[in-house]
Amino acid sequence: MSALRAHDVVKCYGDLEVLRGVTFEVDPGQVKVIIGPSGSGKSTLLRVLASLEAPDRGAVTLEDRAPQPGEVGMVFQRFNLFNNMCALDNVMCGLVAVRKLSKSEAREQAIAFLERVGLAEHASKYPDELSGGQQQRVAIARALVMKPKAMLFDEATSALDIELVREVLDVMESLAREGMTMVVVTHEMRFAQHVASSVLMMDEGRIVEEAPPADFFSAPKEERTQRFLALVE
Amino acid sequence: MTASFDSHLFWAALTSEPYWRGALLALELTAVSLATAIVIGFFAALGAFSPRRWVRSVVWTYNWLFRATPTLLQLLIIWDALPQLWSGFASSWFTPFMAAWIALSLNEGAYMSEIIRAGLLSVDPGQELAGRALGMSRRQILRRVVVPQAVRIVIPPTGNEFITLLKLTSLASIISLHEILTSAQELAVSTFKYPETLLAALLYYLVIVSMLMVLQSRLERRFTWSSGRRRRIQAPAVPAISHDAR
Repeated sequence: MSALRAHDVVKCYGDLEVLRGVTFEVDPGQVKVIIGPSGSGKSTLLRVLASLEAPDRGAVTLEDRAPQPGEVGMVFQRFNLFNNMCALDNVMCGLVAVRKLSKSEAREQAIAFLERVGLAEHASKYPDELSGGQQQRVAIARALVMKPKAMLFDEATSALDIELVREVLDVMESLAREGMTMVVVTHEMRFAQHVASSVLMMDEGRIVEEAPPADFFSAPKEERTQRFLALVE
Repeated sequence: MTASFDSHLFWAALTSEPYWRGALLALELTAVSLATAIVIGFFAALGAFSPRRWVRSVVWTYNWLFRATPTLLQLLIIWDALPQLWSGFASSWFTPFMAAWIALSLNEGAYMSEIIRAGLLSVDPGQELAGRALGMSRRQILRRVVVPQAVRIVIPPTGNEFITLLKLTSLASIISLHEILTSAQELAVSTFKYPETLLAALLYYLVIVSMLMVLQSRLERRFTWSSGRRRRIQAPAVPAISHDAR
């Protein structure tokens, strides 16, 4: 049984066909890394998987049924922490609003997850008082606290200063080791090589190639993948 | 020149019951009208984003009607014309205060809807996206995330609207609402001492507006999200509205 699955998904914005029949699945505990040029449909695929966009055709299933609110966690390139809430309230918000937990229960769990990303001492700080790396770790905690069945990362380190990338990748790697099901859109090739169960190449709204990282990077089959890797590395 | 200034009369006017009652009435009318206008404006602003075309048309027509016509005319229509059209308004509950409240609320609501619309638009769309990713409903996102952030943007122009509205209450003197300016004019006419009586009224307006400015800066701090609450915020992108024509 696949954890998260997109079946023959087509998504258009006006005349532009961004996803042209993408079938994709990730098994429980797997980490799939998606690479590809900008405009290839990577982010749109994640948004469809997170139910942020409804596909024009095809469907997304989680454990062979429709995903429920909060079951698929999403981490954004620009963090998107709620600016009017401190770190703790950001992490609590979903538990109170969606899971209907009492504030004290929500607070307890939120603190545990802030500790998990190493930010418990910053719980009362507002987003504009945290570094980019800290904000992104709070955003990860905010998604994790919902106990998602899968986590999606949309270029989670692309907006970070170079010296802040590591702390976020560390959190992502430890999540992967703990068996979280993950779909990661990234330009971090080292992360893909070391952490991914398999790597996918997307181009022009289609999945061009999928292979385990060892094969994908050493002997890519598709010409499009070869060209892209040559440019990136 | 100053020899002709009767400071005794000035103080007498300043502390007289018609003055402070009139000032209180102006303040009350401003406060309730602005409060009502914020409610009207909030829903009109939401309506402006509605996917339904007819809703947007209603909002557009409302904004157009109340911004394109003089406030004084609106006041006269509600006080004088409405009771002749609907007998329900020709009864004792429909006091000058009621009429002024309705007219100023409807008028101000049109301006507030534009201000609130700009405030809502100023909130980063990523905020809503993050809320949806957590599984929050549209209403929850609006209440917990978007509106609190829009409030910070909306406070300064709303302060301006309060001041405008306070001054507009003097229009209600023509529908025999006994607000501060009416009291001042009555005293001026009966004593024939204009500097003393009018300056006393001016002082009341200054005091009310000064109190508002203190309240406004407190509110702004309340809606600034830093644990130090010191963050400077850029001037909001709210369209400038000319008040002269009202």
